[in-house]
Amino acid sequence: MGLDYQLVLWNKHKKTYDKIIVLSMLLYIILFAVVTLVFNSETSIETLIIRAFGTLAIIMLHIILVIGPLCRLNSRFLPILYNRRHLGVSMFIAALIHGGFSIFQFHALGDVNPIYSIFTSNMDYGSLINFPFQVLGFLALLILFVMASTSHDFFLANLSAKVWKRLHMMVYFAYTLIIAHVFLGAFQQETSPFTIGVLILGFIVIASLHITTAFKERKIDRAKNEEKEGWLKVCNISEIDEDRAKIFTVDNERVAIFKYDRKLSAIHNVCKHQGGPLGEGKIIDGCITCPWHGYQYLPSNGQSPPPFTEKVSTYELKLEGTTVYINPKAFDEGTEVTPCKY
Amino acid sequence: MELIINIFLGILGVYFLIGFLFALYFSFKGANKIDPLMTDTKKKVRFLLFSGIVATWPFLIAKVFKSNTSQL
Repeated sequence: MGLDYQLVLWNKHKKTYDKIIVLSMLLYIILFAVVTLVFNSETSIETLIIRAFGTLAIIMLHIILVIGPLCRLNSRFLPILYNRRHLGVSMFIAALIHGGFSIFQFHALGDVNPIYSIFTSNMDYGSLINFPFQVLGFLALLILFVMASTSHDFFLANLSAKVWKRLHMMVYFAYTLIIAHVFLGAFQQETSPFTIGVLILGFIVIASLHITTAFKERKIDRAKNEEKEGWLKVCNISEIDEDRAKIFTVDNERVAIFKYDRKLSAIHNVCKHQGGPLGEGKIIDGCITCPWHGYQYLPSNGQSPPPFTEKVSTYELKLEGTTVYINPKAFDEGTEVTPCKY
Repeated sequence: MELIINIFLGILGVYFLIGFLFALYFSFKGANKIDPLMTDTKKKVRFLLFSGIVATWPFLIAKVFKSNTSQL
């Protein structure tokens, strides 16, 4: 949120995370080089770079893919989520170095266009074992390029959240291509049970975390609320933590009920910025703060504080004793609703 | 198969060539028309956006056209 676009929206925490990312990447590359040279001293520098950055990119991609479900299962992981975009761009740089050196070493030294050579140097497209695996890596790199190059807030604002999200969901397609690229490459070059084992383990972790999260969210969506004169009973006031929210599904829409300053307010759970789950955020400086990118809304009217213009729908609440009831009919986005006091 | 590869790479090349030409215009002029925050945005940020504009030019060109039409 700002009145012009900045190169990078850094703050103290983001700088710390970025330092950790860069140092971890450097440490991994050094360790990989040392271990490779100790166990296989004949490895050329080009091969070393290709393998080091390739494995680094895959490890980073796995971390990126587990961050989302981990945060849904445990809010302690949220700080990592705040920096996922920087991690994604760093991963693309690692993948680009891997791809760039591979293209240079295997395709740039002949008289054929290197990109054309990737697709035509091995034409065994009908074979599973001898399939030209580098093509899959190239296509994955193209997808990662689109994602990294559109990670700036300008694209979020101008492509629309829907288009931006769809573009960035292509990470799962890129992941599939990369898995196939590595499997086929490993089969064709040197079958390393360790590499294959780690990849299978990584896939199992990613898949099981996504499935667990999906079940958890399905449980929220399927929960039936008791109805009383048009109001839906949602929970006891003690079930909501101070300055936090509890998420409910009302009329097929997710609603976040926030508790703050001895008051309760309900707003639509989806952030206007990028569809982040507002109910997983918290109240900071009197504003509901999205856990994904820090977009803020006033709890009483669902509006971003001026000069910002984002708005979400609001809902009416009432208390009977300590039981919270919600009117399932949403008000228009940005409508002022008097908070329910307790 | 070679024909499919040639067509695919041809389309890819044309896509990025159009994207590059559009990005030259859009980064420094067109973006201001569709996003008021771009007016005060510095040159180094515009350079940073360049590759993303090359990648997503069909979406952005549609937005520029819409903005031109609404100004008529």
